[in-house]
Amino acid sequence: MTRYIIRRILQGIPLVFLVSLVLFIMMQNMGDPLATMGGRSVTRKEDRARLSRQLGLDQPVLVQYFYWLVGNDFVKIDIDGDGTPETYGTRKGVLRGDFGTSLVAREPAMEVILSRLPNTLILMLTSEFVVIFGALLIGVYSALKQYSLLDNIVTTFSFVGYSMPIFFLALSLMYIFAVNFKRWGLPYLPTVGMYDPQVGDTPAQVLIHMVLPVVTIAVNSFSAYSRYIRSTMLEALGQDYIRTARAKGLPKREIVFIHALKNASLPIVTIVGLDLPFLLGGALVTERIFAWPGMGRLFIDHVSRGDTPVVMGIMVLIAISVVVFQILTDIVYAWLDPRIRYS
Amino acid sequence: MLNKSFILKVLVLVMIASLGLSACGGSPAATAPAASKVATLIFTQEPDTMSPLYTNMYFSQILHQTWNVWTWQYDEKNQVYPVLVKEMPSMENGGISADGKTITLHLREDVLWSDGEKLTSADYKFTYDMYMNPKNTVSTTYPYDQIASLETPDDFTVVINFAEPFAPWLSLFHGILPEHVLQPVFEKDGTLDTAAWNKAPSAGIGPFKFDKWESGSYLRFVRNDKWFGEKAKLDQIFVRIVPDDASQVAALKAGDGDLGIFISYPDIPALEEAGVSVVTVQSGYSEGWFISMGPKAHPALQDVRVRQALVYSVDREKIAKDLLLGKTKPGASLWDNSPYVDPSLQPYPYDPEKAKSLLDEAGWKDTNGDGSRDKDGVELVLRYGTTTKEVRQSTQAVVQQMWASVGVKTDLTNYDSDIFFASYGDKGPAYTGELDVMEWSDVYQFPDPNFTYFLCSEIPSDESPQGVNAQYLCDEELDGLFQQQATQVDTNARIETFHKITKIVFDQVYWASLWQDPDIWAVGKRLADVKLSGVTPFYNAEAWDLK
Repeated sequence: MTRYIIRRILQGIPLVFLVSLVLFIMMQNMGDPLATMGGRSVTRKEDRARLSRQLGLDQPVLVQYFYWLVGNDFVKIDIDGDGTPETYGTRKGVLRGDFGTSLVAREPAMEVILSRLPNTLILMLTSEFVVIFGALLIGVYSALKQYSLLDNIVTTFSFVGYSMPIFFLALSLMYIFAVNFKRWGLPYLPTVGMYDPQVGDTPAQVLIHMVLPVVTIAVNSFSAYSRYIRSTMLEALGQDYIRTARAKGLPKREIVFIHALKNASLPIVTIVGLDLPFLLGGALVTERIFAWPGMGRLFIDHVSRGDTPVVMGIMVLIAISVVVFQILTDIVYAWLDPRIRYS
Repeated sequence: MLNKSFILKVLVLVMIASLGLSACGGSPAATAPAASKVATLIFTQEPDTMSPLYTNMYFSQILHQTWNVWTWQYDEKNQVYPVLVKEMPSMENGGISADGKTITLHLREDVLWSDGEKLTSADYKFTYDMYMNPKNTVSTTYPYDQIASLETPDDFTVVINFAEPFAPWLSLFHGILPEHVLQPVFEKDGTLDTAAWNKAPSAGIGPFKFDKWESGSYLRFVRNDKWFGEKAKLDQIFVRIVPDDASQVAALKAGDGDLGIFISYPDIPALEEAGVSVVTVQSGYSEGWFISMGPKAHPALQDVRVRQALVYSVDREKIAKDLLLGKTKPGASLWDNSPYVDPSLQPYPYDPEKAKSLLDEAGWKDTNGDGSRDKDGVELVLRYGTTTKEVRQSTQAVVQQMWASVGVKTDLTNYDSDIFFASYGDKGPAYTGELDVMEWSDVYQFPDPNFTYFLCSEIPSDESPQGVNAQYLCDEELDGLFQQQATQVDTNARIETFHKITKIVFDQVYWASLWQDPDIWAVGKRLADVKLSGVTPFYNAEAWDLK
């Protein structure tokens, strides 16, 4: 098992490099970071020329990638524009832990990312937990009581939620529970933000502010999970070993949760394992509408301004976590199904 | 079917749901700030940095008046007034030398940084040095690169020498850097690019001082007791980042915000209904067409009659009324609402018949009956491009119909703004001449009238890949007048030159207004005594109060 994990990690390293190179090249075609530096006016041509020289944007894309990867503190660059390189660069490169300085925020890209990562994790992990827990409850119930009234009701509502555009759902929830409830004098939820700064970032505040975004995300992704669990559970419940377990007279609870669910959860683990790394990317629309200071907003804000260091930082982080979560998924597989052996 | 256990399960679910909602629904009293006066501003974009060195971003710059004032600011009539200087330099008081090449600033002697240090001429010298030092990747070196030398004969006098008379000198010193804080940082790091002060300025000069910036969430400014002016009535100014326009409106309506900007026209009625005041402020911007005359442009556009026909054939009043709810109107010039526009200029009227006769006169007639005019085998089909902003796309659709009715066909294209405005070097569609008519909202160096887009030297090319003359326009008379005004420190003479400039641009239709594009602010019910300027919007932030 250990050898297997080490082999998978070693395989993952060149993969991450390849992904980073492709993304870096694609990023160069995402727009010009200097175009928006003039604020509400077009950037002056002298400033464009100077900034592209100082920021190294005048270099060929592969050179820029190389500097991004290994740094440029061993080459001289021409920062005063006299045509003669005279000053050593200051970048250390990703391999030495320097993701560069954000072109927008003018602070280390990793600091920018890390300031948002916890916010996204709070929101997305809570949502994922609510979704998985809820989907398990409903999925298992629906499988056990197939075509019952509750099964039909839940199926209908989860599909309504699934087919509703997320921005519509988010804004509707905001208008009902924040704007209109306040107007009607009822207890209401806050419209935007992660906490009320006058009160501070207490757990209670974060919880209140998290309700609407979590509900939005959960309602939207609930049905896919619950339907999946329902069908794999139905399949498992029809297996011979379940009949054997029943015949042995095992309690129903044990049959459902130990025998059926454990076996039915193998494909679910695959889906969750594939989904988890993308939680790092945040929920673009939900974060934007509820002004949640997460990674999704950070990503879109910085992509739109061509901020390569931050965007690349986020993407590399996601690429690495995809690899890590794939390995973790494999490990969970082995635990769930003792027949699986890695050698 | 409705057995006991089913009912029990439903009840439990309902209870959990209602508990969740009621527990999380904070009562108004629980979230209201205790006794302190806090105004909440809603920004749809997060400021990029606090340092004036590194930003041209609107949402960063408008905050300067709260925590790091400019040397001079502008009131609600966009009139300049001195802040950190005793009086505005002029030829009469000797602040501007007779040859226009030297400007002398006499600083107030009672100004303290928020950390208690005195503001002196050394801060001005340091600011100038930092803008010009190539080790700092500043967003623009303008207008500091026009300065030949800067002297500080004493602690409160700054003498600025220009090689040539420099008319737009008012654009200098918009925000000063504290030398006592940043000089040691520069000496240590060799640059200010990553100075902590950029994100969390420990010293500033303003009615408020910086307190906290929670990335992606909010910025907070608290009253600065060391401010030399009238003490702020509010205890705090709190800036909440709400990136979605619809959420901004919801927050303003719910009273979670007291002030918002860039309200879109369709949201105005709902806000007004909720008791929020909507204020339009002239900030010099105009939405208009930049008509290309470059080598790749449609040949018809070289003829002034065709350009005039394009304007005559569009009912711009109707566009302003239908798409912008009548909150603005078409203009005559890029310099509208300023003394610099020739007062005789009036917007071209809507006159499709005149447009048709001008096109006929220019030789563009529909000879093959395909619905579009042609000449020498070339069809009059124009490529009309702009950004993806909704109101622009709607305008394009309306204009397309109006132009079609006079026999001009159009191909419409839209780009994300960073692609649309990408330079010639980066193969942006506007600057490489791929478009015949380009639409966006722009402004001269408001409030200074200087403008560089029409200069021949700004035409983009392989040698000048960053040129900003997207129209490839080179009119020698106009070019000469632009060069001349930039050196006229005598305001009246400069106004006279600009009257000539605006007349030429108008007659030749080098640029055509679609509508004047004022900033639209929303001021909530609670906030009182807010006056907004088009240049320095928060210039009277110290007087803001809560009702």
